[in-house]
Order: sequence, then C-alpha cells, then structure tokens
Amino acid sequence: MTSNREPPDWALPAWDSVETAAPSYVARSRVPAPPGTFGLTILAVSDVTRAVREAVRGDDRLRDVWVEGEVGRVTISSAGHGYFTLKDDRSQLSCVWFRDDRLASAFEPQSGLRVVAHGRVDVFDSQGVYQLYVTDLQPAGFGDLALKFEALKARLAAEGLFDRARKRPLPERPATVAVVTSPTGAVWHDIGTVLRRRWPLTQVVLSPCLVQGDGAAQSVARALGRVERWVDRLQASGHPEQAPAVTILARGGGSLEDLWAFNDERVVRAVVAHRLPVVSGVGHETDVTLADFAADVRAPTPSAAAELVVPDRHAFVAALAGASSALETRVSRHLGAAELALRVERRALDRLRPSAQLAQARERAGVLLDRATRSAVSLLVDRRRGEERLRARLDPIAPARIASAHSAVAAHGAALAVLGPQATLDRGYAIVRRSRDARIVRDPVDTPGGERLRIRVARGELGAVAQGDGADASDAPHRTQS
Amino acid sequence: MTQDQMATDEATRSNGRSDVALDQLSFDDAFAELQRVVAELEAGGQQLEASIVLYERGVALHERCSRLLADAELRVKRLVERAGGALEALDVAPDEAIEPPEG
Repeated sequence: MTSNREPPDWALPAWDSVETAAPSYVARSRVPAPPGTFGLTILAVSDVTRAVREAVRGDDRLRDVWVEGEVGRVTISSAGHGYFTLKDDRSQLSCVWFRDDRLASAFEPQSGLRVVAHGRVDVFDSQGVYQLYVTDLQPAGFGDLALKFEALKARLAAEGLFDRARKRPLPERPATVAVVTSPTGAVWHDIGTVLRRRWPLTQVVLSPCLVQGDGAAQSVARALGRVERWVDRLQASGHPEQAPAVTILARGGGSLEDLWAFNDERVVRAVVAHRLPVVSGVGHETDVTLADFAADVRAPTPSAAAELVVPDRHAFVAALAGASSALETRVSRHLGAAELALRVERRALDRLRPSAQLAQARERAGVLLDRATRSAVSLLVDRRRGEERLRARLDPIAPARIASAHSAVAAHGAALAVLGPQATLDRGYAIVRRSRDARIVRDPVDTPGGERLRIRVARGELGAVAQGDGADASDAPHRTQS
Repeated sequence: MTQDQMATDEATRSNGRSDVALDQLSFDDAFAELQRVVAELEAGGQQLEASIVLYERGVALHERCSRLLADAELRVKRLVERAGGALEALDVAPDEAIEPPEG
C-alpha cells in the first residue's frame, strides 16, 4: 500500500459521524487520527530515506569534511572497496572508500589506527544508513606534517634556498628536455603528449624515479643526479648540443602525505643544486611543495610544466610568418626606393629633351612677358594713384595760391609805379632825348651845338636846341639832372 | 649551373655566408640564419641585387623552419643505469610502458 492511493470506502467515516464529531482541527490536534484517515500523508520508506538524504546533501557542513577518529572493523569487498568505521568515545561513523581512491593512496586503514578521513557524508538508500564517502585517508598527525612543512620551509628559506635571485631563466628552445618523474601513471604520458603537440623538435629524456612512499625522496634526488651525469657524458663525448637544457620535476596530485617526498630536504637541496634550470609541476594547482619553492619555475601541474619549457610551434610558425613578411616589406621598400630613384632620373631626362627645353623656354618667355606686363600695369596704376593723391592735396591749395598771386601782382604794380619815371618827373626832374634818335642825353658831348632835343617833363614834352659844348654848357646837364 | 644560380652563389659568398644546402640545415641553424638575414635586411645598405638575394634566402629559410616544425617527431629516451653506474639512453617508442626503477 502506498500513501497517495485513496483509502478504501469502508475506511471512510460515516457522514453522520463526521457531522457530529468535534471540528476537524480540534480532533487533529488532540487525537492522532488512525492511519488512512483523510488529511494525513503516509510516507513510504524510500520517501523518508530520500528526505533524509536531501537534508544531508543540502547541508554544507557535510559536503566536504575532514574527520578524525579511530578505525574500527575494516572490510575489503571483493570489488576492492574498503568499508570501515571511525569511532570516538561517543559515536561511530560508517565509512566507504571506493576502490580507485583506495588504490591511489599508499595508506591502508587498519583497525585501531587513528586517522583523518576526507570526504562527504551521504545516505546509502538501500541500507538506510548514512556514511562517509572517503576520498583521502591519512594517518592522524596530519597537523604535525603541516607544522613540519612550515618549520622546514622557514629553515631552508633562511638559508636563501628559495631566493628569487637564485632563479635561472629557462632556455628558449631546449634541444632536449629531461623529465624526472615516475614512468608509470598519467604524468609521464601527459608530459609526452604536451611536448609532442607543442614542440616535437625537442628530445625527451626520462630519468625515472619513485614519487611516493619510502625512498621516494632519495629516488628523486638520484634521478636528478642522473640527469647531470648524462649532461657530463654528452659533453665529454662531443655532443653537448644533445644534452638536456632544462629539467622537469613532476608528480601527479595527491594528499600532503603523498606529496611528502617533495617536501624532503634532500629533494629541495638536489633541486637547488641541480645544474639545469628546474621546472616543477607537482600535484594540482593548489598543492605547493618545498620542491616548488626551490625550483626555478613552479608550474601548477605537470602538463603546465611541459608547456612552460617549450614554445608552441603554431605560435612560432605565426611569428616566423611575421618575420618573413617583415623581410618582404624591407625588400619591397628597397625596390620601391630604387623605383623612385628611377622615376626621378626619368623626369630629369624628360626635362632635358630638346622639345621640352623649347617648351620650357617658351614658357619662361611667357612668364617674363607676363611679369613685365604685370609690373607695367602696376606701375601705371601706381602713378595714376599718385597723381590722384597729389591732385587731392592740390585742390584746396590752388585758389589760395592764385589769390595771393593777385595781391602780389598788385603790390608789385605799386612798386613799379614807384620805380617808374613818372614819379620822378612829378618831383620836377626831366628827361632829355635827342630828337633824331630819341636817345637819352647823359653827357654833353652827345649834344653838339644845334642838336635838337626833346625834353620830357611831368606833364608833357617840349622841344629845345642845344647851345653846343663848353664848360658852362657842361654844367647845364648837371643842373638839370640834380 | 645556370646564370642565376651563379649570381645567387656569388651574392651568398659575398655576404660571407656559407652556401649550405637548405635541406641539410638543422632547425636551429636555419632559424639562426633567418634571424641574421632579417637583421641584415633591416639594417639596410645593400645593393638592390644583394637585398633580393637575401630576401630569397630568407624565404627559403622560413620554409625550411616551418617544414621542420610540421614534420618533427618527438624523440623519447629513457636513462638507464647499468651495473657500475654507467648511464645509457634507450629509445622509447610512443606509449611504450616503462618499468619503474628499482629503489
């Protein structure tokens, strides 16, 4: 029977009983109604389980938890899944560790061990239990590891091993890339894939090592040393160009415990002392190990490390094309300059052609004529303008000048009148002329005796005859003239 | 040898560059020469003929580099330590499983 099917007819209360019963809200609040009564929902087991599961899944506190406890009974199923309980003095918690996660870890839960489990809490429907689905399991004391990590980091940093100044640049296009990692697993494969895709001109040399568990640290340090010895070998045998130019140190993701070898002091020192630049790619992006601090470049992942050590050939080809087109512009510019020079010469040649010279001479003559005409015209215009200006200045002056000339003439007339003989005659003087030639007589010798004279006085003329020369006669003109 | 080739060789020699056949050039050599050619052309000052020869050499070098990049196969080796500590690099075929090292 399921909850959402309607109750059978016989289970329904009689109409009258419904009528006489207390109001339904009273009945419901006081007396639990029998199963199947109207107004109640009957849940299936799976509904309850689902509701619990949803509540659990909806709780952020349970989605990603670290739980510390003591391992109880441990069972490994035939499929390889691990089942165990975690206990403390008050409760216990069922835990499931699926095969893949379990096999990826070096750690095995054992009854009585104190551990820290990382995972999520969920409900297993078919058994109606909630349990911890474990992704990582580490021995308790994880906090100790973190403390140890910080202490070692501080000590090595104080030694200057992580100094920025120690970091070496990576070669641009290494002929050979050394890879220190485990030959098993995805990391080595991924690095090969990236290098093949980006820069297959390079050669890869794997120096294999253990990357977790006992002896991993020594193994990593030895593998780094092996790369150096290989460089020596190639240089000694006259093939230095084939020697690795950069080393990738890589490991896949894991717990702090898994990655612990990369926090080992021996590994850190081997990385710092390594003769080639080291690119580290350990764990996931969020995992940071001391080897990462020691490396010349820290890549977030192994694949990213591979990407960092070589250029991308597609980008490179594009850059090459750029260089090639730069060449082209350069040469075409050179060609263009030559062409330009040619054109200039051609133009010079054209200028020197006889007909062109003639045309030019004609043109020059035309220009000269033009200039001459222009200057003549402008000269004329200038002059006319000058005259007009002069006239403009003269106009008011001329009448005045004429008036003053008139008055001057009158003045001169007066002066003339004063200077003329009439005024002298009026004062009693006379002018004596010879009759024959009307010469004015200034000397008695001019008038021999009997010479006929004409005498002009103020009011007219009278005739006279000279009495001849002689001393007494010579006085007469003096008298007449004084 | 045609007239053109002789002219090219002459120009190449006069630029102090070895007339190594392009097909023999390694990527690095071809690329280094390409960089020199570009720098030389950018510096300018050549005769027109010389600059055209340089340009053609540059184009050929560019093609050589591109071809090498397109055709390259990643060579994978693995260092093996022999008894007595002698090292050897063995070729590894793509996706060949490698035994984990001992110790």
